[in-house]
Amino acid sequence: MALDTRTRQALSKLGFGPTAADLAEVGRIGLDAWLMRQLRPPADDGCGERIAAAHYRLKYKAMAPPDVDEDRPIAVISAPIQEHWAAVEKNLPMPERQFFRHAVALATLIRAAHSPWQLRELLVDFWHNHFNVNAAGDATVAVALPTYDRDVIRAHALGNFREMLEAVATSAAMQVYLNNRSSRGGAANENYARELFELHTLGRPAYLNALYTRWREVPGALMGRPQGYIDQDVYEAARAFTGWTIEDGAVLARRVRLANTGRFTYVETWHDPYQKRILATEIDPFQPPQSDGRRVLDLVAEHMATARYVCGKLCRRLVSDNPSDKLVGDVARVWMDNRRAPDQIARTVEAIARSDEFRRALGTKVKRPLELFASFVRATGIPMVATTALLGELDGSGQRLFGWGPPTGHPDEQGYWLSSNAMRRRWTLLLGLADNAWGAGLPQAAEAIAAQPTVAAAVTAANRTLLGTEPDARLVGAITAGLGIDPKAPLKGRGDAPQVARRLLSWCALSTPFQVR
Amino acid sequence: MLRRRDVMTVAATLAVGTPVRAFAQAGRAAAAGPILVTVFLRGGMDGLSMVAPVDDADYIAFRSPELRLLADGDKAALRLEGGPKTGDFRLHPEMAPLKALYESGRVALVHAAGISNGTRSHFAAQELTERGIGEPQDGARIKGGWVARWLESVGAARSPAFATSRGTPDSLALHPDTIAVADIRGGMNVPGGRSAARVLERLYGGDATGPIAAAGRRTLAGIRLIDSRLRAPDGKVAPYQPANGAAYDDTEIGRGLQAVARVIKMDLPIRAFCVDMDGWDTHENQPPRFAALAGQLARALGAFHDDLRERAAGVVLVAMSEFGRRLRSNRSNGTDHGHGGVMIVSAPGIRGGRIHGTWPGLASEMLDKGVDLAMTSDVRSVLAEVMAGPLRTPQAPAVVFPGFKPTRVGLA
Repeated sequence: MALDTRTRQALSKLGFGPTAADLAEVGRIGLDAWLMRQLRPPADDGCGERIAAAHYRLKYKAMAPPDVDEDRPIAVISAPIQEHWAAVEKNLPMPERQFFRHAVALATLIRAAHSPWQLRELLVDFWHNHFNVNAAGDATVAVALPTYDRDVIRAHALGNFREMLEAVATSAAMQVYLNNRSSRGGAANENYARELFELHTLGRPAYLNALYTRWREVPGALMGRPQGYIDQDVYEAARAFTGWTIEDGAVLARRVRLANTGRFTYVETWHDPYQKRILATEIDPFQPPQSDGRRVLDLVAEHMATARYVCGKLCRRLVSDNPSDKLVGDVARVWMDNRRAPDQIARTVEAIARSDEFRRALGTKVKRPLELFASFVRATGIPMVATTALLGELDGSGQRLFGWGPPTGHPDEQGYWLSSNAMRRRWTLLLGLADNAWGAGLPQAAEAIAAQPTVAAAVTAANRTLLGTEPDARLVGAITAGLGIDPKAPLKGRGDAPQVARRLLSWCALSTPFQVR
Repeated sequence: MLRRRDVMTVAATLAVGTPVRAFAQAGRAAAAGPILVTVFLRGGMDGLSMVAPVDDADYIAFRSPELRLLADGDKAALRLEGGPKTGDFRLHPEMAPLKALYESGRVALVHAAGISNGTRSHFAAQELTERGIGEPQDGARIKGGWVARWLESVGAARSPAFATSRGTPDSLALHPDTIAVADIRGGMNVPGGRSAARVLERLYGGDATGPIAAAGRRTLAGIRLIDSRLRAPDGKVAPYQPANGAAYDDTEIGRGLQAVARVIKMDLPIRAFCVDMDGWDTHENQPPRFAALAGQLARALGAFHDDLRERAAGVVLVAMSEFGRRLRSNRSNGTDHGHGGVMIVSAPGIRGGRIHGTWPGLASEMLDKGVDLAMTSDVRSVLAEVMAGPLRTPQAPAVVFPGFKPTRVGLA
């Protein structure tokens, strides 16, 4: 395989696709050095200036005049949660609270397009789906989203899973989304505990409830190493997390309320303190504050089923819809071997990226709308001004950022991204981006394409810009038919050459090779 | 010659929405036989907040007044005749339009319905329900979704199905041609106008291989089928005019059933429609949330039946959820995942105005695992009766649910 093709493939699977500058850099330092840098990115991604300059168009009819219509800077997302939390309490109109989701989503688009730390951006999208919260459905989650994105997901995207798990468990966004903040000893709310097992850690394959009704029947349980979990584990874990809550002003006693900041807190009087048995491990009564919950997080984070489940999902995202059992097993071993390492996830991702299966998996994944958008922007040199209109378009694409309802996150299989609705939106997205329909800016690559002598040469140049390859006969035929002209017709010097060039870019991007990664 | 029209900006074209009239195909045969509409209430609908015996001592003991249906007061639930004689069964007070359908005999309810597997996982339970299988391992033997298999059994394996979900629902898994569109009020044209349509036709047409090309072809075909029929002669999307004064709310279920009614009236060869309604996972603050959803569902069902009154003999609707919720409420003023729940069946010629199934009661020893309403009617038994009865496909149940022995529910 030509080096350029391998580079493009690697950068499309480990990020949102290469820019011309990336290709030059990898040519200089080599793919291996590029990967090693990507695995250990600095905290600062250099996107601060662009985010500081970005605005969201906030427009709504106020209850009392004047109506609101302003460009609100999104830079406020860098503030700590207590500075945003007032938006929950003040009973503001919905658009004011949803602003926080829109602001984080705009920053996400900016980073997807411009961050040099592309692997982190891809993994941030992965973890936001793995630890899904729905900010579009709940205004309180929206207000908590900037902190969740920054301190929970981004901070741990390449770090240690156990640490990430506790950051998630103590975040306002997850506390609100899966209701643990209102869980009380006596009749605990099971929502968080159930999804912790089923979606965040051991996974559905390890839910053995249909096979066993008592904990001691689960294979391995009597040796303290049960293969999976049953409802009894969920009930007990729900008890363990009672008292884990956030400062949301809830009533503690007569005339005593919690502070109101959105920060995590633990309320001993809400905790169910008695003995528990979770995953065949006994917890004595009256343990120190938060000890029960932390014990559960230790147990699930270090479980072999978690390694297989989470590594299986990482392989599915980075390699193909159906990674082999061998790959998942190999990667799960790396995960387990590094379970106490601060860079456990980076080491795991490295093992995936260095596998034969990764190398062989060219074009096996259908791009998600965010990936399709960012790869097109990066390949064609669209300046990517983050606009409200662009965000609106992406919201309808099937991948509404931070707005998926159920705690599963968006499906990671191609069928979902290829429904008739999703297909139409893919076409709209590419055609509109090329023509600057949402104000993100014009593709700079179109200038060189418009300067080609003939239409045929321009098609070739457009395809090389996107994919580094010659266009195939079907694509040339389709484009010729679309334009209704002979490919040998002259292009350079025509008044409409710039529009034709932009359109050629979007049409080439509609072809299968650009739609997959 | 390069035609100027073809390079007009996409933005302008997107705004205008050029219809692809050339594609419109007239004269395709309409569906031969009754149409199936499924409504999936996602998240685990609390059947005990929709239909319940308000005078049951265990019901009263295990739930605070806010979390149960009440016999009197300003939020008194609506009395239902035709329920089990053991109690005063009532319907949620926000669901008057459903009560009217029930009393007209068009609608029947099935209580304590659900799946045989004891899972309390949404996603496992939805999959079992939508695949129409009893245990996960049956999926190795019985492929695809139950609606897909039903379409195959009635000779419609290659006809399109229509879903108002974001993706293809599991009940249509492996059906090769599902048009999934959440909302058709804006039309479903090819973006980019005629020139882009020509590119797409050739790019994905004929012998082009791979999933992108296949999805492209399917999407273009769906557009040909439906988009032209949504448009007035001037090419603009005509606003929908429901019949008989029906009024749909702008809610997920209102938009979904409105889209289904509109497509049904196009007389296309589409026999199966799947509609999603999200939001039923009420672990916290359940009373106002459930009341809002129940009202939305009942009003949408009412509008749908008004709108399709003239076609009522040819439309069958079944609403279900993945499970019901725990009898005992939690301290978040909500309920956790349970087991048996309620199904709604609307069909011509059924024994409507009744609550079918065997009511197992709410005494502790009758509860599933000691905590949840037991399941006495397998979802598949209900669906089998619907297939054999109002759908007039008596051959279907054995094919759709191979190896499953339905028990009698009593709908037909």
